[in-house]
Amino acid sequence: MKYDIIIIGSGPAGYVAAIRAGQVGLRTAIIEKENIGGMCLNWGCIPSKSMIESAKLYNKILKDAAKFGIDGIDKKAISFNYNTAVKRAKSIVKRLTKGVEGLLIKNGVEIIKGEAKITSKNTVSVENRSLEAENIIIATGSYSPEIKGDKSIIIDVNTLFEEREIPENILVVGSDSVAVELSQFFSLIGKNVTLATKGERLMPLADEYLADYLKGIFKKSKIEILYNYDIQDVNDKFKNNLIDINGKEIKADIIINARDRVGIIPKSDVKIEIENNFIITDENCKTSIDNIYAIGDVNGKSHFAHIASAEGLHVINKIKGINSKLDIKKYPLNMYSVPEIAQIGLTEKEIKEQKIEYKISEFPLSANGKAMTEGNSDGFVRILSEEKFGEVLGVQIVAPNATDMIAEASAFMQLESTVYDVAKTVHAHPTVSEIFMEAGFEGVDGAIHK
Amino acid sequence: MKYIFNFPDIGEGLEEGTIIEWLIKKGQKIEVGDLLVTMETDKVVAEIPAPRSGVISALYGKEGETIHVGDALVEIEIEGLSGEDAIETVMNDKIQEQIKEEGAGVVGTLEVAGNNMIMSGSDEGFDETESADKPVKRKIISTPVARAMAKNFGIDINLVKGNGPAGRVMKEDILNFSKQKTKSSIKQESAKDETNQLVEIEPLTQIRKTIAKNMIASKHNAAHMSVFDEVEISELDRIRKKYKQKFEDKNIKLTYLAFVVKAVAIALKKYKSLNSEMDTVNDNMIYKKYYNIGIAVDTEKGLMVPVIKNADKLGIAEIAEKIQELSEKGRTGKITLDDMRDGTFTITSYGSIGGKFAVPVINFPQAGILGVGKVTKQPIVKDDKLDIGLVMPLSISVDHRIVDGGDVTRFLNTVMEYLNEPVSLLVE
Repeated sequence: MKYDIIIIGSGPAGYVAAIRAGQVGLRTAIIEKENIGGMCLNWGCIPSKSMIESAKLYNKILKDAAKFGIDGIDKKAISFNYNTAVKRAKSIVKRLTKGVEGLLIKNGVEIIKGEAKITSKNTVSVENRSLEAENIIIATGSYSPEIKGDKSIIIDVNTLFEEREIPENILVVGSDSVAVELSQFFSLIGKNVTLATKGERLMPLADEYLADYLKGIFKKSKIEILYNYDIQDVNDKFKNNLIDINGKEIKADIIINARDRVGIIPKSDVKIEIENNFIITDENCKTSIDNIYAIGDVNGKSHFAHIASAEGLHVINKIKGINSKLDIKKYPLNMYSVPEIAQIGLTEKEIKEQKIEYKISEFPLSANGKAMTEGNSDGFVRILSEEKFGEVLGVQIVAPNATDMIAEASAFMQLESTVYDVAKTVHAHPTVSEIFMEAGFEGVDGAIHK
Repeated sequence: MKYIFNFPDIGEGLEEGTIIEWLIKKGQKIEVGDLLVTMETDKVVAEIPAPRSGVISALYGKEGETIHVGDALVEIEIEGLSGEDAIETVMNDKIQEQIKEEGAGVVGTLEVAGNNMIMSGSDEGFDETESADKPVKRKIISTPVARAMAKNFGIDINLVKGNGPAGRVMKEDILNFSKQKTKSSIKQESAKDETNQLVEIEPLTQIRKTIAKNMIASKHNAAHMSVFDEVEISELDRIRKKYKQKFEDKNIKLTYLAFVVKAVAIALKKYKSLNSEMDTVNDNMIYKKYYNIGIAVDTEKGLMVPVIKNADKLGIAEIAEKIQELSEKGRTGKITLDDMRDGTFTITSYGSIGGKFAVPVINFPQAGILGVGKVTKQPIVKDDKLDIGLVMPLSISVDHRIVDGGDVTRFLNTVMEYLNEPVSLLVE
């Protein structure tokens, strides 16, 4: 029996592609060596958000309960139960993965457990079975490269949210959203956190303005950031809870490995072109082999689940002969920091590089009534628009629910809207989203409440 | 509610027309079928009837202005309907129009369905609606940036093909359009400069485009096959000469063609396959029980084919009169669409100019076309003796999908018998 499509990996790239393939009547199999849902569902996006919610609630009770009029909370008596929070996260994961599995089955996708190996352009072997397919989609995801050293103190992200004791001093290694979110998470539950990042700045994909803002937040929460520290090997550098790196001693009981992720390259007898540990793909996610595609983290274009899913849909459409354009600049980049940070479109640097005449319209959260009532008035909306026609080129939001609010910017960008359209879109009062409209006014001829 | 009636494609693949005369005024009450406007196209002058009853609330365009097919022509305020009722009524009408169209199946049905716009009755009272200078265009979906750019570049966004979701005109479409526009205008200018001396460039006229389209459609769709023969017509010539003066007294020119039309019409009754068309959509043959003979007329603007309807039922005199009337109309540009529709067979009489034999192109979807060559005196053999005969060369092309070689030859023989012995025309 020949499949139309074999998908290797069932994360948000693979499983979305598989469901879509099933929906459009393609004979599809999906191969998974671990858990359905991949990194995102099992160890990444979902459990981490659940843990961050627990931490935020804990922190809010600790800091704000009395101010909000809640008496009787003894700060010394409350504590963060990591293992209970993990249990809650796990139960959510279980429900979601079950749901995904159900959707795959419902759409006629065959689920095959085991590790795949591409044996030819059209064949994949798994657990002594050889499967034949018209098209192969690699959706194997990514991993943080190993940090060498004592395994009892080095924890990878995909084993972090297990029941465990969390010591006082934590060193997080990494530079992008995973590292940022985890640093803040540990800080919120009262740990002493250091973040070692290999570059000169955090979040290389985000606008510098956002990175700078984040730097301020970290400073306030007393998280130390060490720049230009690419920690790969801590053998012989670990002594009495101190890590000696380049002469600097960092206090650390455990190290969280959130190093910049690289692609998980599947075993293959076919030579698929690879560069810097990612599979090379064209604008339609096609690899150097005609009928083999690579979607999601493994192609190195992004490491966001929603982009992975969008690539999955795009490839299935492409195979079905439905042509469209994949413009990942129009997909949001979200970070679940506190407050949340979200960005879409071009950054200011990119706009400058393209020599576009532009305008910045910013509106602060501190002038927003709803934000004040919630006790979170740290943040802003920033719209970057083209000068002549007013096209919205990029939007950056820092707000408690920035990751949800960015959806509006997403729609504006998808529809090629202008700041005039933003200003004309009435936003209900009182809402945090009003700041978006105000930034639109600012883009046209001046905000009302500024 | 307001109903916008767009200039319909009146069936000949027209793209535009000129307003000759408005037959109604703003504020005038009209009934379905009342004539709204006289439009001139390259081919016909047609009067456009109202598709709905109501009160005219706006006329789009002034006399002498050119209107594109599909552009708004008039706005009719339909009484007693508003909101969803109105939309439903229009939708039902559309369905009926579509059914009508399907049933008609002949060239020249009035196409009213399509992109008529529906505007709900709202605060836009029609008293304030001035007779618009600019016609309302079909609704274009476009992004705000695309609109702003189009305006800035002076591009008519209606002309831009949208490549966004659901055909939405995107920024990129405008940019590409503007690039192409610049390119093509540069190209045209430079081409003009270079070739100024060697060639003359003239844009295609509507009628030339139509001829080109029809000719290619015929050659692509029909399997052309031709037969040639000659017929001796001394007897016919004698009769013609005899009655010529009588006809001239009535201002009618009695030509050979009138006899040929009659002969063909009667012969078609015997060979039904030559008066038919093939319906490949439903896998049917359609044999026509009416005999409408098209006459190819050479005019300054190009070829036109007016039709003599029910030629089998007309006498020679009536046919001659009709030919004269239609040729005159063709030459003066007064021919109407009605004069040209519903032909079942065509005759092309190039012999009046010259040329003996030709391979005429079938007026698709008809089954055949007869070419009449130049009548000359020629030596003939009569009763084993050499004699001087008056010879008419005939060329017939048929669609071999429909008509086989035997039938076409038999048909041609019959036509020739009638022409050789014109008295037999009266007997039939």
